[in-house]
Amino acid sequence: MSTWRTAAHFVAHPPPADWRDDLARRIGRRPRRVGLWTELAMYGARCCLDAAGEAALPAGARIRIASMRGAWGATHAGLTQLDAGLPMPFTFMQSQPALMLAEVGRCLEWQGDASFALCRDAARTLQLAKMGASRDGLLFGIVEEERNGELPRSEWWRLMPD
Amino acid sequence: MNDVYLAGMGLACVLGDDMPSVLASLRHGGVPPTPVAVADGISWPVYALASREGDWTQRLCSTVRSVVAQTDKTGDLGPRTAPLFVASSSLDIGFMEYEKQDLRLGGDLQDFAGVVARALDWQGPVFTVSTACTSALNAVLAAADLIRSAEADEALVIGVEMDNRFTVAGFGAMQLLAPDSAQPFGAQRKGLVLGEAVAALRLTSQPARWQITGGANVVDGRNPSGTEASAVFAMCRGALMQSGLQPGDIDLIKVQAAGSPVNDAIEVEALKQVFDPLPPLVSLKSAIGHTLGAAGAAELALLVGCIEGGVWPTVDYPLDASLGIALSERAPQKLRNILLNVVGFGGGHASLVLKDVGS
Repeated sequence: MSTWRTAAHFVAHPPPADWRDDLARRIGRRPRRVGLWTELAMYGARCCLDAAGEAALPAGARIRIASMRGAWGATHAGLTQLDAGLPMPFTFMQSQPALMLAEVGRCLEWQGDASFALCRDAARTLQLAKMGASRDGLLFGIVEEERNGELPRSEWWRLMPD
Repeated sequence: MNDVYLAGMGLACVLGDDMPSVLASLRHGGVPPTPVAVADGISWPVYALASREGDWTQRLCSTVRSVVAQTDKTGDLGPRTAPLFVASSSLDIGFMEYEKQDLRLGGDLQDFAGVVARALDWQGPVFTVSTACTSALNAVLAAADLIRSAEADEALVIGVEMDNRFTVAGFGAMQLLAPDSAQPFGAQRKGLVLGEAVAALRLTSQPARWQITGGANVVDGRNPSGTEASAVFAMCRGALMQSGLQPGDIDLIKVQAAGSPVNDAIEVEALKQVFDPLPPLVSLKSAIGHTLGAAGAAELALLVGCIEGGVWPTVDYPLDASLGIALSERAPQKLRNILLNVVGFGGGHASLVLKDVGS
């Protein structure tokens, strides 16, 4: 599958002021015990699928997420907690990319092939995501927390092979 | 579409810094975990790598160079322009523990893979894969995608879990750790025991003894710290389908079996739904611990090493009779197709089918 079309492209860079309320409205609940990075990912993924007009992501589709900064805030907080004694369990969980993948899948009520991978060359990350993907296509996201004046970002593409 | 083969492998873990020493140690009963203090009065056992000279980064680099050198018997890794996949759950968190607070996390998540690549003088594209316990298997699946689609002739996958207190303390805080030893499927199992490891797998399109015929990755977020039976079912079915195999074609399953009271039982029940009867099972975590992001590469390398070296992990504790399973005490006589399962933190479930082409 060498040619792909973009079924939807959603950009929140930065997200609007009411993005958390918007996410809660879209998924019918307020996320609990998840970190900011995960919540940003959930928001972008759901908005992108909505923009594509898809109520549900097909089981054979892939989710691929990349991020340079990752769960920066939770990781920093967890290290500080470690210095002071012990990290709290939810802080530790929020620092893990795998937990973000789990929550994105859960908010889409989807079980399937989700992974977190990155490369300095973003085009290669996307190319890797497409390799071996099924006819159900790809939901690809780049999610960044705010840091040192860099704006938060949740940008997603729903891509389908032609 | 190209086939994918395992051209070489290297391993450093609690048992030793190369395959001969790993197998020798296993033959003599293995190495116990050592306590790692995470706070005043709190420590957890860890199957640790042997101590090395240097600071955290120097130890990382020397271990990676040593392990990657094992992947080619001639020591010649070629032009080093193939894709490199660095798979890890903890990445460079161990390095950050030694940094001043205001200097921590100044870089990004690709920095760790960059350090690994520079240690090898690697010139090809470098990817980070971080999906907790399934990181290395997902890296193998991604590398296999590139080779199958002829985007690459070779790829190198390195699974790395180096020493750090953050992960040990985090798993301890989540009440997932055993206080003494890992007992996969054991009657007295109390949780998992973490392990450190660096493992390298050199994949190629050129025929070799071991072929990677298929695999599957299934994330299910309903139980972020545990095993989901439907996901185990789906990953096994997916890996078999890509390999063109039926359940009865599998001669051995390398199970996840980290020693969790609940998750071990869920895994067994799910496997019984796919396989009737169950093929022989083998567990490696009582020998090297749960090496998290490195586990897929470390356990694949160790299993192949055991088969080729004629060594087999022993089970020196009573199994849970209620599970209705046994762990094989020797390699099965017929051993052509092997299923390797890794299940992990964050709802990740991944399977790989390995075929002994020479059998």
